[in-house]
Order: sequence, then structure tokens, then C-alpha cells
Amino acid sequence: MARQFAYYPGCVAEFSSKELNATTKALAPLLDIELLPMPQATCCGAGDIAEAKPNLYLTLNVRILSEAEEMGADILTICNVCTLNLRRANKMVKEDPRLLEQVNADLVNAGARPYQGTIDVTHLLWYLATEEGLSLLEERGPRGLNGLRVAPYYGCQLLRPSSVMGFEDPDRPQSLERLITALGGEVADYDGKTRCCGFPIILAREEVALKESHVALSGARDAGAQAMVTPCPLCHLAMDAYQRKTEQLMGEEYAMPVLHLPQLIGLALGLPTQSMEFKRHFTPVDDVLETVGA
Amino acid sequence: MASTTFRVFRYQPDSGESESYHQDFRLDHEEKTTILDALLRIQNEQDGTLAVRYSCRSAICGSCACKVNGKTVLACMTQVEEAKAESGADTLQVDPIGNFAPIKDLVVDMTPFWEKFKAVKPFLIPDGPAPDKERLVPKAAMEKVAKESACILCAACYSECNSLAADPEFVGPAAFAWGYRFAADERDAQRKDRAKLYSGDHGIWDCTRCMFCNERCPKGVDPRDAIEKLGAIAFQEKVTKDKGARHAKAFLISMRQGGKLNEQLVGGYTDPVGGVFNAPLALRMLQKGKLPKSPLTHKVKDRDQVTKLIKNVKETI
Repeated sequence: MARQFAYYPGCVAEFSSKELNATTKALAPLLDIELLPMPQATCCGAGDIAEAKPNLYLTLNVRILSEAEEMGADILTICNVCTLNLRRANKMVKEDPRLLEQVNADLVNAGARPYQGTIDVTHLLWYLATEEGLSLLEERGPRGLNGLRVAPYYGCQLLRPSSVMGFEDPDRPQSLERLITALGGEVADYDGKTRCCGFPIILAREEVALKESHVALSGARDAGAQAMVTPCPLCHLAMDAYQRKTEQLMGEEYAMPVLHLPQLIGLALGLPTQSMEFKRHFTPVDDVLETVGA
Repeated sequence: MASTTFRVFRYQPDSGESESYHQDFRLDHEEKTTILDALLRIQNEQDGTLAVRYSCRSAICGSCACKVNGKTVLACMTQVEEAKAESGADTLQVDPIGNFAPIKDLVVDMTPFWEKFKAVKPFLIPDGPAPDKERLVPKAAMEKVAKESACILCAACYSECNSLAADPEFVGPAAFAWGYRFAADERDAQRKDRAKLYSGDHGIWDCTRCMFCNERCPKGVDPRDAIEKLGAIAFQEKVTKDKGARHAKAFLISMRQGGKLNEQLVGGYTDPVGGVFNAPLALRMLQKGKLPKSPLTHKVKDRDQVTKLIKNVKETI
């Protein structure tokens, strides 16, 4: 039977990076996952609302958790930033009953359902990078990645702070590596995989942000990667949509295709290429498709 | 007894060595030995020229921060055997903290760190003449700044700050933790001025939220959270001209409009002037469908709840 999740794709996957949302939805049946829509769910605030109005951030995120609780399903995310914001709010109210009471008072006053504190928030990567998840992928991956050399790129907020995230060692993460290997790919290892892509400040401090993404892009290139894979659509925008700007700023060439995590899995599992909407990428993925035989 | 190889960063420009290198030292030691004890034994027993900065040996002075297998720690509060177990390696590589220029071996030039620390005015600036007795503060008010008051200025946060690596002028996490500690102190009279001081170039809006500072701080200060709270103080004091603040404002406007991010608004609102230079990128984003062709808002179900929350939730920063 399919595992049901309250599906929280987040704003970027829903709008700017629709290819991520489309691929996740196409992939779900192959992974025995049922994605239940959350019509009431707002934006998580992406850390921005937290740094403008912290109490509003907390209340809005608890409202999202409460919708999932009413649906009777844990939340599944496909974005680092959504995962951190939802998990942080969840931890804050689960550890402090008085705080939960205050937040619930605001929710009830606004006509929203109070939260009981029973929901967990997990990222698709975490769901799949378990023994069961990996054996499912091996079993469902008829085509495999044909030795495609992939640089894992975690970014920040799925790893840190580990007191909130806690799935794996933030300094020696292995979930993406295990997944790439299980799908028949080869891991291109490099130091920059846990460094920041710069996206949170890319509109306000573009040059600082691009210098940050350069660390990961150049590291992946130097490790001989044919592609990078990321569990976060914000990292994807920084690495893919801004890649040419970073090349111009740094005077270097990366020519690095960047895949969303579900696209990498979709390629290995033989999902039709059109359903993954690679045409929406800035850096062409033709060489990747050729290697994989898609 | 245990035995460990320490691969130590060496750099001795005053002795004519212009290039740095790593030198291996093998040491037999008790199971319970800290990195600092091991380094001092190497200095005493094997090479007296090894330069290490330390003082209290008990995680209070903040002098002995260094990188062990790439991760910044206090040498005095890190056990050798635990570091080996964590990294799965028998050899421990010891390097100076990052984002600083080395002076000699593990000793770095901390001048920029102290200059930035001073620049945030890390002291109380009350209004009016000093009272006859001390200024009493209720316990709850001090609890607001208790975490930040625990900072020992060891620079473990600064060492791995990703914004600093890209912008060496960024004031950085430790200094802003102190900035918040005083901005949020109810005896301080400089709240708005501090919000302005911290919001400028290389200020709080430079923080890229890599979360390394929260991860590395040995005292649980959570400097990123302090920077976030300084953002909220800036909003409360209406110091919101910086592009970073405008970016956050665009999220609030999106929330008001429909509950989800209005991606077209965010770019234009954050940087209405400089955004012009990004026109070619915006055009390509349009072509790729990464930006909507016409302005639109995304409305969630039961949006009236969101509207009420925006209106009624009180901030307590």
C-alpha cells in the first residue's frame, strides 16, 4: 500500500521551478508514495518572514503543521528551506507547551485549527536514503544511471543546524552518495558539497552569493562530475539559472548540468524524459541524457 | 593507552619558511586526552617550535579554536578519541581556524575579528546620567539575551562563515551576537541606532544563512538566530531600506496578497534600481517559464485566517 504524505512542495517548486514539482508527482507512484495536496498551506517564509516577524513565522508554520495533522499524514518536502522552517517551528512548539498554547490561541482566534504536536516533517531524500528506500530504488531502477558521474550537492539547510535537522552527520553526509550508488551512478566527491549556494542573498547581495556558489560549482567540475544533483530548488536556481553569471564574474567555465533529486531518480527509473521538463533548465542536460540512455 | 598521528599545519615565515605544509607527529596518550593536551605534549616532547594559542584549558577563554579534520572546535573541549571515532580516521589533521591569515602554525591574526567586534559597540549605552544605584532588570528581560551573553569570542563561527569567505568585510556572526545582546537589553537606549549601524554594507543582510555558526558554536550561542532577531529589531524600528530588508518585506507582501510567494514581486521589490542590470537574466527566466509573464498572486484556501494572523500576531522581540 502506498505511504500517504501531506505534500508540501514549497513555493519555488510550485512556481519558478515547476519541473521539480512535476517530476516529483510523476515519480511518486513508482516509489509507492501518495502525495496529498495541502490547499490551506502558505509559504513557510523561507527564513525571510522569520527575520522580519519571528512570531508570525512561527504561527504560519504551525498552521501548516496543523493542516497536515488534520489530514492525518506526516509532511513530505522537496526543499531544504521549507524543511528547516517547518521542522524548526515544529521543534519549538513540541519542546515548549506554553509556546504551543500561545500559538494555538492565535490560530483559534483567526479561525484556524489548533495544533496538537503530532506531525513529523521529512524530506524526500531522507525518506529514500534508508535501507527500505534504497532497496526499493534498486528494485525499481531497471535502467540505472549507467555509471553517470554525479557530484552530490547538499547545500546548507537540510544538514544544519543538526539540532533541528538531525538525519545525518552534517559534516560527513552520505544520503546522496548512497542514493547515487544505488541508482547505478558514480559519486564525484569534493569539499564544497556542504557549502552554501548563496541563494538567500542572491537578490540583495548578488556578488557575495555568486562567489559562494562558485565554491561548489568549481569543486564539482574539478572532481570530474558530469552533473550535480541537489535536494533543494533554491540551490538549483543558484547553480543552474545563475551559473552563467557566476562564470562571468569568476572568469571560469563550469558547463555543469544541475539535476533536481527526483530527476536523477526519474532518469534511473526510466521516467519519460518529457515528464521531467529538462527544457526548463538553463544549462543543457543533453550529455547526461545520452550517458544514461534516456 | 591509545596512539594517534596528528597531521599539524606548519607555517613559520619568520624562520624563512614561506610555504605552509603539514607535519605528522605520532603520540602515545591516555584514552582521555584533549586535542589541546596532545598539542602541548607534542610541543613539549617533540618540537618546541610548534605555535599554539591557548590559555584557560576549560572552554572559557576562547583562545584555542582550531580545525580538526576540517571542523572548527575548541581544542580544549574536544577529546582525541571522540574526534577519531567521529571521522572514522586514525589520523587527525589539525589546521588553524579559517577566514583568517595565519601568523605562525596554528596561530592566526585576529585583528579583523576584534575590529569588527569593536565596530558593533559591544557595550551598554544607556540614556541619561548614571543612577545612584545599579539599574535593576527583571529576570525575564535578561533571559532574552542569555544565550548571546555566553559568547566567548573564540571565532569558531567566524572560521566557517560562508558569507565571510565570499565577503571578507562581512561583520560576521560573533560580533552580531554581541550586537543583539545589547540591542535587546532593555537598559540600552541605542536600539534604533544599532539597527541602522548593523544594517549597512557588510551588515546583517549579508548573512547567507549557511547555519555553520549555529552548528559550530561550542557555547550554544546560535549566532544566526541573533542575526535573525536583529532583522526583526530592524523591522520594528522601521530600518528597512537595505535590499536584504526589502527582500524580507516582499515575502510579507506576498503573504498578505495570497499566502504564497509572488516570485515576480520579490525580484523587482528587493532591488528596483540594480534590478535593471539583471534584465537579461530576467528575460531568460521568462523564456524558461521561471518567472510568470504577468503579475500574479497565489491564493491559499481559507486565506482570511492568514489575513487575521498577519493583523493579530504580536511580535515580542
